[in-house]
Amino acid sequence: MTLLDLVALLPLIILTAAATGIVLLMAVCRCHRTTALFSMAGLGLAVISLPFANSMAPNRAVTPLLMLDTYSFFYMGVMFVSSFVIAALAYAYFEKQDGRREEFYVLLLTATLGAAFLSASSHFVSLFMGLETLSISLYAMVAYTRDRRDSVEAAFKYLVLAAASAAFMVFGMALVYAEAGTMEFAKIAAARGALEQGNHLVLLAGCAMMVVGIGFKLALVPFHLWTPDVYEGAPAPVTAFVATVSKGGMFALLLRYFVLIDVHQYPSLMFLFTAIAVLSMFFGNLLALLQDNIKRILAYSSIANLGYVMIAFLASGHMAVPAGALYIAAYFITTLGAMGVISVMSTKERDADSFADYRGLFWRAPWIAAVFTAMLLSLAGIPLTAGFIGKFYVLAAGEESSRWIGIAALVVSSSIGLYYYLRIVLTMCESAEDEAPVSRPSWTEATVLTGLAAALLFVGVYPGPLIHAAETLVASIL
Amino acid sequence: MYELLWLVPALPCAGFLILALFGDRLPRRAAPFIGAGSVGFSALVSFLIAYRFFTAPPEGEHFSQVLWTWMNVEGFTCQFSLYLDALSLVMCLVVTGVGFLIHVYSAEYMIDDESYAKFFAYMNLFVAAMLMLVLGENMVLLYLGWEGVGLCSFLLIGFWYKNPANGRAAMKAFLTTRIGDTFMAIGLFLLFVQLGTLDIQEMMQRASQQWAVGSGVAVAAALLILGGAVGKSGQLPLQVWLPDAMAGPTPVSALIHAATMVTAGVYLIARTHVIFELAPSAQFLVAVVGAATLLLAGFAALAQRDIKRVLAYSTISQIGYMFLAMGVGAYAAGIFHLVTHAFFKALLFMASGAVIVALHHEQDMFKMGGLRKKLPVVFWTFLIGSMSLASLPIISSGFYSKDLILWSAFASEKGSKALWFAGFAGAFVTGIYTFRMVIMTFFGEEKTHVHVKPGWVMCLPLVILAICSTFGGLMEIPSSIYHFPLFTHFMESALPAAPIPHEGLEHAELMLQVIAVIAVLCGLSIAVVAFGVKPQIARAVVATPFGAKMRDLLFAGWGFDWLYDKILIQPFLRTARFNKDDFVDLIWNGIAALSRGVHSLLSETETGHVRWYAATLSVGALLALAIVVLL
Repeated sequence: MTLLDLVALLPLIILTAAATGIVLLMAVCRCHRTTALFSMAGLGLAVISLPFANSMAPNRAVTPLLMLDTYSFFYMGVMFVSSFVIAALAYAYFEKQDGRREEFYVLLLTATLGAAFLSASSHFVSLFMGLETLSISLYAMVAYTRDRRDSVEAAFKYLVLAAASAAFMVFGMALVYAEAGTMEFAKIAAARGALEQGNHLVLLAGCAMMVVGIGFKLALVPFHLWTPDVYEGAPAPVTAFVATVSKGGMFALLLRYFVLIDVHQYPSLMFLFTAIAVLSMFFGNLLALLQDNIKRILAYSSIANLGYVMIAFLASGHMAVPAGALYIAAYFITTLGAMGVISVMSTKERDADSFADYRGLFWRAPWIAAVFTAMLLSLAGIPLTAGFIGKFYVLAAGEESSRWIGIAALVVSSSIGLYYYLRIVLTMCESAEDEAPVSRPSWTEATVLTGLAAALLFVGVYPGPLIHAAETLVASIL
Repeated sequence: MYELLWLVPALPCAGFLILALFGDRLPRRAAPFIGAGSVGFSALVSFLIAYRFFTAPPEGEHFSQVLWTWMNVEGFTCQFSLYLDALSLVMCLVVTGVGFLIHVYSAEYMIDDESYAKFFAYMNLFVAAMLMLVLGENMVLLYLGWEGVGLCSFLLIGFWYKNPANGRAAMKAFLTTRIGDTFMAIGLFLLFVQLGTLDIQEMMQRASQQWAVGSGVAVAAALLILGGAVGKSGQLPLQVWLPDAMAGPTPVSALIHAATMVTAGVYLIARTHVIFELAPSAQFLVAVVGAATLLLAGFAALAQRDIKRVLAYSTISQIGYMFLAMGVGAYAAGIFHLVTHAFFKALLFMASGAVIVALHHEQDMFKMGGLRKKLPVVFWTFLIGSMSLASLPIISSGFYSKDLILWSAFASEKGSKALWFAGFAGAFVTGIYTFRMVIMTFFGEEKTHVHVKPGWVMCLPLVILAICSTFGGLMEIPSSIYHFPLFTHFMESALPAAPIPHEGLEHAELMLQVIAVIAVLCGLSIAVVAFGVKPQIARAVVATPFGAKMRDLLFAGWGFDWLYDKILIQPFLRTARFNKDDFVDLIWNGIAALSRGVHSLLSETETGHVRWYAATLSVGALLALAIVVLL
């Protein structure tokens, strides 16, 4: 291991050190604020180290396990910033709660580390390591408000099902290994070329079983049923994490793995992914239609959104990579904003997830309502928001590769989806004479929401820099 | 000096913005000063520019001012630019000058209205839109002004919106002109697609280079533009909105009929005259439309009871003369009549407004009479306006302009005896209905008590316009009297001279003038006899069955409203009623119901049971395997 390897690993090392540091810190002083600041500092430092690592040790394979290229650094950057935001939200959220709060940040950092590992993974071993680091941290995070019955129930559901899906995944890897004789993505791709025509069955079966694991993490149909329960039960900042970082890492891996083994060679796999994408879009939007719980609506909306981004995945590589990255970035901003609003609105006893909590919000707390509206419009893909840019690029990528079925499904299902987003907006516009006033958000929360709204509009109005960044990723992965 | 051109539309627009945004907060007294002041300064700038234009004309006799580039996409540019030539200068002077007087008049006329500031805001916007229309260098700006005028006419005709009838009249005006606007928009698209530019001058130049005379595309473009023009200018067959537009306050009628709106169609044809030159058949149609309209509207004016409706029909009729001029290629003559008509029609409307206010909002001429003594200023100015409308020789401006049109209709290569005769007959009818109106209003016995007398703020514009109506015609004196073609000469830089051969017609001109004058005087005498000296004559005519039918038909404006109601509105309403549960909605409602149904089906899968979730996970895995293995 050379010095450059260490430089390339720097972001991951910083995260690990920060997580360890918090554990040690807690032994000395249990202070919520210090811990939160420490974790945010660690995440901030990790973000700062990304461009440094990228320029000093560009596109470097560190051991066969990790490929630390621009692609993975981009996803890490997006995920680290998201975790930073979530840490800030969590600080404000847990300030309202009693009990031990400091351990949460350890879990947050390890979960982020797992996701970062996934995005850099180029080997089944690192894939599984990352997946499990992420999942095990998440079980505890979901159950963190352990005096709430829902949280514990959600955590157990998540534990059982995630473990089951991981089992499918490992089995799939074994099948691929059996056929290709290697666990490195690049070598699998090479071995695939050596296989005779018609002899790919075991490899394909392995891939299909891996899809179960991946589809579970990304909450794609038909592996999506856990999503609303977990979203609803988990505390709002954790829901934000489940919706963003944990999916981002897995999507980065999915794209890297299947682009490398050239999934377009296999019509059956393409059909499988198309079916999953189309079903996810329709199921997500239709399930959300008359839902009365805002967190569950956002859960279903995330199912649909991941369905949209699958179109980018299905497009050919040079369009898929930037479109996927753009969509993920836009989706992260939007979801964090929406979940941030829920987190801000939540009280000590319960999360603000019913329509009643939002009735007349425009009159009670116009600024929060405006941010929430912007986020919902972005989820619906209305112009001038980040969501529109993401959706536009996904459509462009799909159009270029002639994925017409996916495009048609996207157009139809997202117009259905507009209904439930606008339903929330409408509720916020209703008159609210009998509703209690909203407590003022703390300055942390106000800063986070303002920053996210600004980012949403900035990307929506002036997407040039982000598009440019996303387009540079192609070179590193292909 | 020319650099100040942008102020001409900008000032009324600024006035509109101030009044619209702060009208409620400003003191009530400030509204007329801002409203009339902005147009007044705009008029001042116009006059200064006009002075400069006479003394030191710009290079090429036109001036264009680019304010900013609106859009610039892939070689297509659209600039916000103004174009000033003789034609737009004359239009500017009319719009701002007459418009200013109308604003001053409104300051007193509308003083008791609760929405005083709003009224001036709309009026300013109206003037600004009209100025945009005449000054726009490209079709986009022209269309902007065109639509702005349409919008403002809707707002002002329905200004007293609390009476549903006024709202209906506003809607009627808007919808009827909209039909024309649609033609015009299609025409503009056609021109743009065919000629590849939006700049009007460039467009005209390319048209004359690329299109042959009488070619199909030229005819189509000319007809479509004509469609827009007849809508805005209230010509056949879209004239039905104009009489109803009287629902608005009287200053609005003056503005619509004199300075803005209805002249837009005439201006449009003059502006695009190159296209009409290339389409002789369409140009002939313009003349025919003008001739038919001036006759029909003139007769309809004979039977009206409402003083403002008489004036409305007279406007339609006079605009018909302008169309006739356009149709025979005498563009300058048409614009000349537009100018004099602006003077005397604004005068007549405002004077009638003074009468209406004096009689406590009575508009029925049958309840007027004998106002000569009670309202002397109004009477004399109204009389001067009427003489101009009836084009009494020498002493009225209308004589000079109408004479020029009649002469052109007769002598122009595009004219004919039939067209001349239509105009001649129209002049005769004009004489009758004009003096019928004067006699019924101001002579005879007093039927309604005079309520208030107009103050000097209302009288001053009347007097100024009366002077203009008397002497305004001296800008152009026919050669048969004294050769002084100032106006047509001035317009030659923008509009070609009428194609009138010079040989062998010297005597004809004078003879025709004499005949026309005799016709007008006959009309006048008939009116005096039948409505003044021996009113029983008129009553006897109406008492005969044929006379009564005729009167009803004319009173209803030849029944166009009835006809359109039967062939257009009723079938449309029947279709709408038949399809009131829009069958197209079935599709959307079906989709909604389907979505709801699928939602409740899918919701059943969210049981909350881990065993079921795990089972679906396994089934999903099996399906994935099946797909991969079997396909």
